[in-house]
Amino acid sequence: MKTTFGCFVRERRETLLRENADYSLRKVAGRIQVEPSYVSKIERDQVAPPSEETIIRLAKDLKEDSDVLLALAGKVSSDLRGAILKRPRLFAELIRQMKNAPDRAVLRMVREVRDGKW
Amino acid sequence: MIELRDDALVFRFPEVCESASLSIDFQQTLRIPDDRKEYPLPAGLGRFPLRHVDDFAGRVSPGWVEQGGVMLPMYQSEAMWLNFRAGFAAEYDAAYFFAVKVAAGKINAVTGQPWRDRLNQNPQDYLVVPKQPWLDGFCVAEGMIRQFVAMPLGEGYTAEEQLAGKAEWGGIQIMVVPMKREVFEARARKRAEWARSRCVVRESSPAYEMGLAPGGRMRQKIYKDRNSLADWDLEHGSRCFVHIVNSLVWRKITGQPPPSKPPTAAEYARAGIPWYEWYDDDQPALPGMDALAGLKSVATLKVEKGDEALPENESIPVDRVIKLTPQTPSREPSKYKM
Repeated sequence: MKTTFGCFVRERRETLLRENADYSLRKVAGRIQVEPSYVSKIERDQVAPPSEETIIRLAKDLKEDSDVLLALAGKVSSDLRGAILKRPRLFAELIRQMKNAPDRAVLRMVREVRDGKW
Repeated sequence: MIELRDDALVFRFPEVCESASLSIDFQQTLRIPDDRKEYPLPAGLGRFPLRHVDDFAGRVSPGWVEQGGVMLPMYQSEAMWLNFRAGFAAEYDAAYFFAVKVAAGKINAVTGQPWRDRLNQNPQDYLVVPKQPWLDGFCVAEGMIRQFVAMPLGEGYTAEEQLAGKAEWGGIQIMVVPMKREVFEARARKRAEWARSRCVVRESSPAYEMGLAPGGRMRQKIYKDRNSLADWDLEHGSRCFVHIVNSLVWRKITGQPPPSKPPTAAEYARAGIPWYEWYDDDQPALPGMDALAGLKSVATLKVEKGDEALPENESIPVDRVIKLTPQTPSREPSKYKM
C-alpha cells in the first residue's frame, strides 16, 4: 500500500520520540507553530497536507528531506517550480529523459562543486 | 563528489558506501569578546549563503576562478563556525565516519602547519566527524580554540599572514576523507553488539577578499583520532576551496543581499540567546601546537598596530549555558527575539 503523507510523518515522529521526549506531538506542533490537534489530524490523514512553509518547517524538525515530504504531499517546492517555469522545455525534456534512469546515473547529473588549482 | 544543497557543502562518496555523505555548513554566530576570558560555545544564528564561484566568474578575480569552489559573504570582524553532519547508515544504526581537514589561508586550523593534501597523525592534522560536531576556531591549547574571525587579507591579522608571512590564499580549505567501508562496517557491527549487552569587483575597494584571523578564546576540544591512518579511505578524499567575500561587496558580485549583521555581544545577552557546552568527559583532546598558540588575536594586533579598537568587544556575562550531548547536538536555537 502507498505510504501517505500523514502516515510517514507519524512514523518518523514516533521513531524520534522513542529516543527523545522532545518529539511528542505537542512539542513538534509548538516548534512548527501549529496547534497540536492540527498535527494529530495531519498524521491521521484527516486533513489535506499543510502549506509548503509548514511542510518545510516540519521536515526540518523531523530531520527529514523537505523535498521528500513535499512529494508525499503531492507538492513541488517553489524554488523547483520556479526553475522549471523559467526553462520549461529544457527541464521537462531533462526530467522525461532521466525519469527511469538509475539513481547513480541521476547523481552523475548533479552539479558538482568544482575543485581547482590551489 | 561535492554538491551545494541548502547552503551546505555535501560531500558524497557513493563509490565507498551509499551512506557515506557529510554535510558542512557555515554558521553565523556571535563574535565572542577578545578579552582574555574563556567563553563557552555561542549559538548558531543561521547558515551563510554559499554560491559557486563559477557562476560569477566575470566578477571575481581570475585567481578565484582557477581555485574553483564556492564563496560566502562575511562582514569584517564577523565570526563563524563550521557545522558537520555525517550521513546516517540506518542498516548499522550509526553515522558514517570522516576525517576532515580544515585550513584558513592554507594554514591548518589544528596544527598551524602549511596545507598538505594527505592526512597526518604526527601531529594529527584533521578532525574526526561525527565525534567532532563543530569547529569554531584555531586550536591554540588543549581544550581551547581562538574563534574564527573574518579580516581583510593584506592587513596582517589573518593566521595565514601571521604564520606564512604573506596574504596569498585567504578563505577556507576543506578536505574530507571517508573511513574505509570495511573498517566502518566492522566498527559499526562491534558498536551494535556492545549496545545490546553518534568583480572583480575590479573597482575600488573595500577589499573583498577575506581570510580568517584568531579572535577570542573559547572552550572546545579537538578530539584525538583513535583510528590508524590505514583506516581512512585516502583514495576517495574530496577537497573544496571556500572563498570569503566581504559582505559589503557581496551584492555587487551576486546581485543578492548578504545576511544581516549578527548581533553584538550586548544584543546577544539581551535576547537571552543561550551558550553551549559539549559534554564529553572521557574523550582525549589534542594539545595545542606552538605555531597556533603564538598567534596574536585581532584585538591584540589592533592595539599593537595603533589601529582603531575592535568594536563591541566588551566582556559579557555568560548567563545560560546548555549542556549538549551526542543525542542533543544542536547549537541552533529555534527561536530567539532580538
